[in-house]
Amino acid sequence: MTSTALPSASAPAPAAVETPRAPRGARLRRVLNRTTLNVVLVAIGLLWLLPTVGLLVTSFRTNTDYFSSGWWQGLTHPAALTIQAYKDIIHSSGLVNALVTTVLITVPATLLVVLIASLAAYSLVFLRWRGRDWVFILLVALMVVPLQMALIPVATMYKWIHDTLGLQLFGTVAGVVIYHVAFGLPFAIFLMRNFYAGIPKDLLEAARIDGAGEWMMFRRIVLPLGKPALASLAIFQFLWVWNDLLVSLVFNSGNPNQPFTVFIFSQIRQFGANIEFFSTASFISMVIPLAVFFAFQRSFVRGVLAGAVK
Amino acid sequence: MQRSRVLVFSAVAGLAVAACGSGGGNNSTGGSPSASAGAAKLSGNVTVWATWSGTEQKDFQMVLDGFQTATGVTGQFQSKGDQLPTVLGTAIAGGSPPDVAVLPQPGLLHDLVAKNALKPLDSIAGSIMGSDYSPVWKNLATDTGKLYGVYFKAANKSTVWYNVKTFKDAGITSPPATWDELMKDVSTLKQFGTTPFAMCGGSGWTLTDWFENIYLRTAGVDKYNALAKHSIPWTDPSVATALGQMAKVFDPTNIVGGTQGAVSTPFPDCVSQVFGASPKAAMLYEGDFVGSVIPTVGSLQAGSGFDFFPFPSINGSPAAVSGGGDVAVMLNDTPQAQALIKYLASPQGGAIWAHLGGFTSPNNKVSTSVYPDAISSKAAKALIDAGSNVAFDMSDQAPAAFGGTAGSGEWADLQNFVRNTSDISGIQAKLEADALAAYGH
Amino acid sequence: MATLPSIVEPRVRRVPDVATGGPPRRGRGRNLLAVGLFMGPAAILLGAIVVYPALATIARSLYDRSGGTFVGTDNYRTLFGSTEILVAIRNNAIWVIVFPVLVTFIGLVFAVLTERILWSTAFKTIVFMPMAISLFATGVIWRIVYETDPHRGVINSAVGTVVDTFHAPGSYASATNIKPSTATLTARPDGGMASTATLSRGDTAQLGLTGILPEFVPTGARDAQPPATASGAITGVVWRDFSVGGTPGVIDGGEKGLPGMHLDLLSADGSTAATTTTDLSGAFRFDNPPAGSYRVAVDAANFRAPFGGVNWLGVQSLTPTSGLGTTARALLSIPLADISAIVAMLWVWCGFAMVVIGAGLAALNREVLEAAKVDGATEWQTFRHVTFPLLRPVLIVVFITMIINVLKIFDIILALVPDSSHQEANVIALKMWELGFTGGQNLGLSSALAVFLFVLVIPVIFLNIRRIRG
Repeated sequence: MTSTALPSASAPAPAAVETPRAPRGARLRRVLNRTTLNVVLVAIGLLWLLPTVGLLVTSFRTNTDYFSSGWWQGLTHPAALTIQAYKDIIHSSGLVNALVTTVLITVPATLLVVLIASLAAYSLVFLRWRGRDWVFILLVALMVVPLQMALIPVATMYKWIHDTLGLQLFGTVAGVVIYHVAFGLPFAIFLMRNFYAGIPKDLLEAARIDGAGEWMMFRRIVLPLGKPALASLAIFQFLWVWNDLLVSLVFNSGNPNQPFTVFIFSQIRQFGANIEFFSTASFISMVIPLAVFFAFQRSFVRGVLAGAVK
Repeated sequence: MQRSRVLVFSAVAGLAVAACGSGGGNNSTGGSPSASAGAAKLSGNVTVWATWSGTEQKDFQMVLDGFQTATGVTGQFQSKGDQLPTVLGTAIAGGSPPDVAVLPQPGLLHDLVAKNALKPLDSIAGSIMGSDYSPVWKNLATDTGKLYGVYFKAANKSTVWYNVKTFKDAGITSPPATWDELMKDVSTLKQFGTTPFAMCGGSGWTLTDWFENIYLRTAGVDKYNALAKHSIPWTDPSVATALGQMAKVFDPTNIVGGTQGAVSTPFPDCVSQVFGASPKAAMLYEGDFVGSVIPTVGSLQAGSGFDFFPFPSINGSPAAVSGGGDVAVMLNDTPQAQALIKYLASPQGGAIWAHLGGFTSPNNKVSTSVYPDAISSKAAKALIDAGSNVAFDMSDQAPAAFGGTAGSGEWADLQNFVRNTSDISGIQAKLEADALAAYGH
Repeated sequence: MATLPSIVEPRVRRVPDVATGGPPRRGRGRNLLAVGLFMGPAAILLGAIVVYPALATIARSLYDRSGGTFVGTDNYRTLFGSTEILVAIRNNAIWVIVFPVLVTFIGLVFAVLTERILWSTAFKTIVFMPMAISLFATGVIWRIVYETDPHRGVINSAVGTVVDTFHAPGSYASATNIKPSTATLTARPDGGMASTATLSRGDTAQLGLTGILPEFVPTGARDAQPPATASGAITGVVWRDFSVGGTPGVIDGGEKGLPGMHLDLLSADGSTAATTTTDLSGAFRFDNPPAGSYRVAVDAANFRAPFGGVNWLGVQSLTPTSGLGTTARALLSIPLADISAIVAMLWVWCGFAMVVIGAGLAALNREVLEAAKVDGATEWQTFRHVTFPLLRPVLIVVFITMIINVLKIFDIILALVPDSSHQEANVIALKMWELGFTGGQNLGLSSALAVFLFVLVIPVIFLNIRRIRG
């Protein structure tokens, strides 16, 4: 599915702006190239959509149908489709509470990562201090720490915090958020540092000479220029936290308020055929972040997706 | 980023789990939750974690409701699915374990005893485990001479499920009782044109169950228990005998999709191959919980559409049942937790779920009449009747690295055996090497 | 942020003129304070939640499974003596070699190409969408895609349609266990069957078959009848020789003939002298064959199986490994499941690469690009000599992120790869998870494998050091 994209990559792509004096043959070639490009990209887009469409159609079919024929049979036999699985999930008690809990985890975990990482990245790029390169290298190394290895040590530390400070983190939303933020930071700082590194230093030197403070420069110069990267970071972090199951399952255990992923997880039949439930739940859990993503797109994310200069 | 998209180890991932199934029964509250278990009225809460989710979670909630009526204590349940061992381990480290947990494997109980995380139950449930249960259950829950758990939910894993109509069409009037009859029926089914078996070897645990049932019958209970403890090696000739019988069943022409199908079809896809809309095979071996999976893959009715026969006797072996089960343990010693343990061990607790279906109680005092249909009653009766001939699932007793991990140990070795059933001694050597590494002796 | 000192000074909108004054002297302490405030929150969180557990893991790797006994390097020795772990390392190597390059390349191509189409937002959204899908859904989705049964899996269905068009399945292909009912027929090596006895003109043959479900007998089939002798012809019947209570080899009442069966008349030398097809009652007739003795064969084409589907998540190796020993085979085979998982993962991550690289493109200085165009550079030259070098930092971000991502990959394998391929497709981080949590409950061994993972990141670190120095 990917190799189809290759030929057009090496071929000279059509110019965005037509040069008025281009010879007729060249112009024709460009039109043809543009048509080829559109056709190729449409084909890739359809291929990319196909698995998701399969999931969507499957979510409207019964287990029995799933086991007896391919999902595309559902398109030719629409009478056999059913929205029962969606009804079941939407009517199950606790759905609203689960979604609220997910938002309570996801939003702080996203905002904190974006804020803390851009501050740290600023200091790594624009402040001069000994050892900052080594700190950066350490951050890259920390990206490889698998989050599952930290479960027991962090649980032990939460217990220690509770025993010495009386602050209960294990089994709370706060404990989950802290875990997500910490494990989101290495990549976030890495990404932001590399984007900030592309901002001309002269810009800041000049402001500094003019007497602007660091916070001022961060807010007025660096933050606006880093917007596209910040937007992508926010989206990624949002999606990852949204789809997390393990951290919530482990660190939020005991808490009656569970996020959507755990809510879904606890409804899966351990042995039975689950596909109608799986596919429906997957689709619901995917639609919500996508909706958020589209909502943001209008204001914040447009810069990233449309490739426009802010 | 990784960190991210964290796991949903679902049934899709199909990790080690002991028996269970989803309820196919009706919704009325069963049994008679008269409170003889809890005597004095208490109040307050008890937290319970288990692997049960979906229908099973709802059914267990009914048990907790009965418990509340009987004792006044509210049970707060959370499902941890396949991740129960991880979540429990972390919660213990985090200082917030639940009061009670129901564990899917006896091995986990011993791990937790080693971590000093469990409270002994001798004074609470010692006598009822002695009087109402076959000794196998008490022994399994005992570590260093103390009782640490009560078996609440069991599974009869010696049931072969068949499509009633296919058997009838092929002219098989009564299901096979012996191995030879089974082989004869297999050949009849092939002549008729049906593939005899759907195999679920894509899920490694189903192959261990096959092996255990054959081994139990060809080698006997004593050798079975010795092999489970790894006090005899896997290179023992008795293992070769059992694998030889297993090879007969796993002949490629006996299986939907041949050898490839046998090792790549996961549970419950294999169930749909026998009981789905367009059946491809006549029968399937797995535990009693298959009975509650069948209604989720098709529209066959219990009795008229599907039924089971006990795993056949081999060379005149006595009736024997391979069993699995979930054991309730106590992590915080509170009066409420004690009351719940007592209740789960009592016939009242078991009867409630037994009546809802998808559940077999190991408690002898739970009447087989409370089960919702003849099939589940028959499975329960076979388990109780087998008495001391119940052999607990060998792979569940083994260290999980050997008997409970996808892609390694016994699961993978038996999959490789199915791929090439002629190399019995090679597989035995590999099994022995893996067992040595996991048991450490 | 309210605690920040009042280093916030009057608003600076434009870049001030350098000539307005000399550099203000900043105290060293003040700079350190700023570093502390900017770095502080990240440092505290990372130290507590990431660094400390990493150090604890290193320490834990030197202890036994329960954590009570110091065992030195025993765990490491156990690790590298295990074929399963070597397989996991091999798979990680495959992932690291293949995946980051592909993701970065495809992401770059998409980011650049979509700048040239009007519906770029729609395209980017489609490619980005899988990022919003949880692992569990990704596993479900791709299991549906890769399903082996051509009736259920979309890839195998497409392949099967093509294959079956060029290689039509036989009319009795659905019956997988067809066998002669008696010794009157013997199997031939090509999958067909031939009568055991030789026949000559005037003889008859009763060819009984079993293993055909009643619903696989073509509609319209009539009850089989014993063949009538015809002088000068070889006649016979092919029928479904199975009925409850019936006798093999005997045409019992109600047993159907098998219509449309392709038959060959084989000469003594094995060559085909004539062919025919059975009628609705399964009867056939070879008229006036030359004198001699023949055998009647049921052609293998009747049973030719339709395309059965490729097991995309299976363990068949893409490299020839038959002549190798166990360890070499474990190290050198490339199971198909690896490639299938990589494709599924590309589907997920290309959107990431595209968006990050797109953000990089967006931040590029357009004037430089326009200047290049004005200078007469072609699109390709502009890309090659201007855009690409400017994008390099972003490409490296994506590339390094993907290397690290793939080093610790495990969830996709867990969700997508079925148990039966699990061992062959396993990876380090998943093995670690199994050793420490789900299966082994041996945190010592699991930690040792985690430490090995830490070690693998060192080359990536050197890559970064060179980049910073350069």
